[in-house]
Amino acid sequence: MSPISRRDFLKVAGLALGSAFIPDVALAAGEDSSNQIGMLYDATKCVGCNACTNACRQWNHTEVEKDPSGLYDAPTDLSADTWTLIKLYEGEEEHSFVKRQCMHCLDPACVSGCPVHALQKTSEGPVTYDPDRCIGCRYCMYTCPFHVPRFSWDDVVPVIAKCTLCNDRLADGNGPACAERCPTGALVWGRRDDLLAEAESRLENNSDRYVNHIYGKDDVGGTSVLYLSHVPFEKVGLDDLGTEPIPQLSEDAGDVIIPSILVGGPLLLAAIRSISKRDGWEESWPL
Amino acid sequence: MAALDKTKKPMPVAFYPLLALTLIAIGLSIYRLAVGLGPTTNMSDYSPWGIWITVDLFLIPVAGAAFTLSLISYFFGREHYHKAVRPAVLAGFLGYVIVGVLLFLDVGRWPQFYNIFVPGFINVHSFLEEISLCVALYTIILLIEVAPIFLEKWNIKTPIRWIKRSIYVIAGAGIVLSALHQSSLGSMFLIMSHRLHPLWWTPALPVLFFLQAGYAGLGTTAIVITLIWKAKKMPVDRVLLRRIGQAMAINLLLYLAVKAGDWLGAGEIPLLLRPDAFGWLAWFEIFIGIFVPLAILLSKLISHSAGPFWAGVFALIGVFINRLVITWIGLALPSPHPYTPHWIEIMITIGMIAGGFLVYGMVVRHFRLFPDRQEAYPTN
Repeated sequence: MSPISRRDFLKVAGLALGSAFIPDVALAAGEDSSNQIGMLYDATKCVGCNACTNACRQWNHTEVEKDPSGLYDAPTDLSADTWTLIKLYEGEEEHSFVKRQCMHCLDPACVSGCPVHALQKTSEGPVTYDPDRCIGCRYCMYTCPFHVPRFSWDDVVPVIAKCTLCNDRLADGNGPACAERCPTGALVWGRRDDLLAEAESRLENNSDRYVNHIYGKDDVGGTSVLYLSHVPFEKVGLDDLGTEPIPQLSEDAGDVIIPSILVGGPLLLAAIRSISKRDGWEESWPL
Repeated sequence: MAALDKTKKPMPVAFYPLLALTLIAIGLSIYRLAVGLGPTTNMSDYSPWGIWITVDLFLIPVAGAAFTLSLISYFFGREHYHKAVRPAVLAGFLGYVIVGVLLFLDVGRWPQFYNIFVPGFINVHSFLEEISLCVALYTIILLIEVAPIFLEKWNIKTPIRWIKRSIYVIAGAGIVLSALHQSSLGSMFLIMSHRLHPLWWTPALPVLFFLQAGYAGLGTTAIVITLIWKAKKMPVDRVLLRRIGQAMAINLLLYLAVKAGDWLGAGEIPLLLRPDAFGWLAWFEIFIGIFVPLAILLSKLISHSAGPFWAGVFALIGVFINRLVITWIGLALPSPHPYTPHWIEIMITIGMIAGGFLVYGMVVRHFRLFPDRQEAYPTN
């Protein structure tokens, strides 16, 4: 449950082992993440029944979001009360359902940005949230490339709300409520590398059925929730975000800028002060 | 206030409206804390930040006045700037206090806002955390730097001597903290390349924000001292204003070079030429905020008594547009309820800024913002 990211681990390991061993360490770290629990969603098998949304509500005790007639639970987007839902994509010739929830990134931007470690990536896979730490700054809502974290705006002291990958079920050996409820097998759960192998074999055996890409395998550095689809991913709201982890540039910049200013700043100030001509400064205190 | 009675001057006309606005804002702030963000703001899951964040990100470079003037006078040792230090540091201090108040109102889980200072919770990778710590520490530094204005009036000499003796450490720490958080405000958006409009997102954001703090701070100083001199019917020091204008011009030129370099390097010129809102906004921002001030500062107008003042005004408008896009327009997602500020958000913002003007005006009226060279402090 430690908040230490893979790259921090690499840095420490790299220091300990020396730079020659870094490639091996990187492999070891990669295997570590593939042991995490994840989910595989296959859009070609989804019938849009919303059983997953319902299972999520029952386990997490979220409120239904009724349609105007009051007859149906009909959320239109993720919200503080809806942590997963099935959306419909309708193109001219094709249509598809797509399940949305937290992707549980391997290197999550929300975790990198959160000032107080209220969001953490656990070694088991889930990205979890601790309201006792959260100050409600909502930075995570902007850093997340999938627009997942939502805020309970109507509460006097609101919370961030999102899918937890049913972290509180995993400990007992159960899977995420949504994956266990799915009646068509469109959503399955398991170890991430098992799911990747399954996805690879589906792509291989039914290459005409799928877009040849497992979304989340390498996207944004990898996610714990993986997708297969028969329509291009960007059409169902899963944009091409590259394979570099979202926090990479930000964390690299911080590693350079902050120590440089902290060390270089005072030195530069001392240098400026010693070479500047002093216009009679000592006599006139501007304060 | 005892000082008020002694002067026996009639209150300026602006006093009562400013006081009223401030009191309304305080009342609305208590209401916001009591009922939450939902009923008092128009923020939503699609625009989780509103006008308060925009104003914070505008006021911080404006309050950079204290940063730039401290650097120039304490470290570059330019005596001629010294008389602008007090007005600039006071503007900076009040700016940061307003930012602190607005941030406190903005964080949803305000009863535990102090978590940001709990060592075990601190995330060293988070630029937002670093900004929070720097802003808090820097506000304390500014409080120490403005303290002599009040201490000398009340004839409390010992702490002034301490401050005077350690001014390099105090001002130096303030400059380092400023360099950190002014640039980090830009770094905060490095992690949003997927969200911020490409004309504004660039890996050079920390550099751009740092340069903006430079010229916005100098511009604010030019505006503030011009207004004070006009109000107090003091002679305008055109040499000082020209020098501030020159320093501003350097920062503006550097900013323009980095910005243009980024647009060219990233191949974003077609976006600039596209006749959509963002293309127009980018041009408008550069024209009003960079070209107009540069036209004033690089021409004879820099020596006109109102030249640096207007250069400052236009530069600040440019920074405001910049921060408006970066915190709001350029981050917006397609939304069922596009964000426009709730009237309570607007009234709290206006009222808190009015409070800043009110306090500044009272200090100008009753304390000495331009200490004379010899009599500023007793030597012992």
